[in-house]
Amino acid sequence: MTGIKSAISFFKLRNFSWFKTVSAAPLAVYRIGFGLLMLFSTIRFISKGWVQEIYIDPAFHFSYYGFEWLPYPTPSVLYLLFALMILGAVLITLGLFYRFGATLFFLTFTYVELLDKTNYLNHYYFVSLIAFLMIWLPANRYFSLDAKLGRCTASDSVPLWSIRILQFQIAAVYIFAGIAKLETDWLIHAQPLKYWLHTAHHWEYIGNFLKQEWVAYAFAWAGCIYDLTIVLFLSIQKTRKFAYMAVIVFHLMTWLLFPIGVFPWVMMFATTIFFSAHFHEKIIRILKKIIGDTKTPSSVVVSFPSQRLKKVTTAFLGVYIMIQIILPFRYLLYEGDLFWSEQGYRFSWRVMLMEKSGHATFYVKDKKSGIQTEVENRDFLTPNQEKMMSTQPDMILQFAHHLEDVYRDTVITQYGVDMKFEEPEVYAEVYVALNARPHQLMVDKKHNLAAISNDLTERNWLSPYNR
Amino acid sequence: MNIKSLFLLGTVSFIVFACNKDEDKEEFDRGAMLTNMASAVIEPSYTEMNNQLISLHSSAVDFTASPTAASLNVLKDGFVSAYLSFQHCKMYNFGPMMDYGVKNAMNTYPADTAIIESNISSGSYTLGSVSNITAIGLPAIDYLLYTSDEVTVLNSFTVDANAGNRKTYLTDITQKMKEEYALAVSAWSNYKADFIAADGNDVSSSTTLLFNEFVKDIELLKNAKIGIPAGYKSGGQVLPDYVEGYYSQISILLAKESIVGLTNAFNGGTGLGFDDYIKDVEGEEVSPSLVDNINAQFTLCDQKVSAIGTPLSEKVNTNSTAVSEAYAEIKKLVTYCKTDMSSTLGLLITYQDNDGD
Repeated sequence: MTGIKSAISFFKLRNFSWFKTVSAAPLAVYRIGFGLLMLFSTIRFISKGWVQEIYIDPAFHFSYYGFEWLPYPTPSVLYLLFALMILGAVLITLGLFYRFGATLFFLTFTYVELLDKTNYLNHYYFVSLIAFLMIWLPANRYFSLDAKLGRCTASDSVPLWSIRILQFQIAAVYIFAGIAKLETDWLIHAQPLKYWLHTAHHWEYIGNFLKQEWVAYAFAWAGCIYDLTIVLFLSIQKTRKFAYMAVIVFHLMTWLLFPIGVFPWVMMFATTIFFSAHFHEKIIRILKKIIGDTKTPSSVVVSFPSQRLKKVTTAFLGVYIMIQIILPFRYLLYEGDLFWSEQGYRFSWRVMLMEKSGHATFYVKDKKSGIQTEVENRDFLTPNQEKMMSTQPDMILQFAHHLEDVYRDTVITQYGVDMKFEEPEVYAEVYVALNARPHQLMVDKKHNLAAISNDLTERNWLSPYNR
Repeated sequence: MNIKSLFLLGTVSFIVFACNKDEDKEEFDRGAMLTNMASAVIEPSYTEMNNQLISLHSSAVDFTASPTAASLNVLKDGFVSAYLSFQHCKMYNFGPMMDYGVKNAMNTYPADTAIIESNISSGSYTLGSVSNITAIGLPAIDYLLYTSDEVTVLNSFTVDANAGNRKTYLTDITQKMKEEYALAVSAWSNYKADFIAADGNDVSSSTTLLFNEFVKDIELLKNAKIGIPAGYKSGGQVLPDYVEGYYSQISILLAKESIVGLTNAFNGGTGLGFDDYIKDVEGEEVSPSLVDNINAQFTLCDQKVSAIGTPLSEKVNTNSTAVSEAYAEIKKLVTYCKTDMSSTLGLLITYQDNDGD
């Protein structure tokens, strides 16, 4: 509560200056760009057959803590959700039924993301957050069908906060990503970058260049400095051009070297929100020319929000910003090695920091009869799920609990042998290699994982990690 | 120094370093590794298996023409030697080999003797049908030639009521194996160039393919050859008839040969292989090298498998300690591959397949 209070007082100090009006062009361009990118990435996702592979094929789903209650959609509902996602992206782009479109996109996208944490990616989280913010932003006031059709109050201006909150979000991504790189593996050992660069090459000359040890260090340090400072240089008008060139070079490089999908393009687009209103107005003029719309008169309507609305908005923004700042630091609540236990790893903008591979063997033992059998993970998980589960403690526990459910009071037949399980205990032996160090024991076979609850407390059942 | 000249300096030094190949340590190139694997490891293993199957079929024809103890022993020798060869080529199960389903048709065990006998007595069957997958291939020959003592086996091909049908069944199986394999081998020569050309490290690259089949084959060694017969997957109940080569009792021989084949696959024979690739990525400072660890583990696995004694179908009952020790060491080998090797080479475990060899 003090957080909220101090946030409100912080904005009051500035006399609600975040409510002063600025050009609506940046927000309009942002809306169109975001809508188009989401349209493209959703279609790409479907056309790669990933709806089937990632959401329909798996028989078991690794739900997120606190979202276990979410119903799992049938295949036809899944495809419907993706169709609605496309509709949402189109409506956002056009600025038609904008708020409905943004809400639709946010809900369908986020719901699908929450179905299975196997598929967690920082950039999906970023998209969810931006989509959520977009619902509340007046991005349809200008250069939109809503404005043109009189479905909302057309205006050339928007409150400053609607631009600043997007800038804040992008700043959070970069700065936290930069802070996360301030650790020994990245800076002192240049890992996992060194091995990745070594094996990523495909072209003879570039390959030999990327193999050089100093290159890995240069990339590691440059990447860290880039993440920490890029927002600052994008904010200063004098350095903006060069900063944006750095954005392009940096993200194109990651796109060429690593299989990270549309993320580079999302960031190259997202950072344009730091550009001047003048720049965005130019883009709108070009867009108007392309679609042949030269007649729409500019509108100078300026709305004056009530004091009450200002207070509510400020409180809302304050809470949002607080959450975003606190969340990446939640790992400090735990003693274990962050990379090993991964407690507080997700939703913290930790990108490309780990190369982790594991080998997990599960054993189910019936407490009553004492019979024990080794589990074939493949019988329950897709290869991708198995890979992800083998290194992430919470997923190991979830899978163990799933096995307990499957084996409880059941006769399992394997190779013609009937095995009767009444009270299954689940044990696992898990070995994990992390950032070029030889593999170490992560889960010892002595723990009955069925008896350990999956919660936010310290993961004492993990064997300690020796760096 | 202004930003422009800094940029220029960066570009120039980039080009200088990029072109300065002499400064590199020993050259490693995935394309060269794939070429070596294709020409010096995979292809010879295919050719050898192909020759074995040609000779196996001709021995089967000779035997059925005049079934004597002598011709039976020639055939048995040919069978063992083909089964051993199979351990060298089966982990290269991609491209045409995969398309033709060679691996499953050749060695899905245990053989279903009821189906085999009913096929023989009826004399009508489609060997390629799904239901006959456990009635064909090496396990079926294993049953036909070794199911009982020499005299009884000879009788089954000479004086028994179904002797004629049994002879036909035997040669039908050997002919099917020979023809299918020859077909896949001839298709391989077209596929080979594609295999070498896919020299990236993405999911569809040949390096990933090779790696996945390699790991999968070690898992088969662990599960199909040892773990399942030992009862580790069936609540501790041993399943002696699940061993490979149950009737001929050559399970341990086959397991040891499989380790030889896998070691060869890892080291690329005497040329460029995963071993060189790992050393190239590790650099010189990593000691002991993962390569040494994995090769030492192969040796240890071989020793532990030998220590089980033969036949495995009895030893799973009488020497369970040695069996579990061998199993544990092979499991460690899987761990090395799925953790350290996968991480070092940045390769993903991607396969999705069912059990069976």
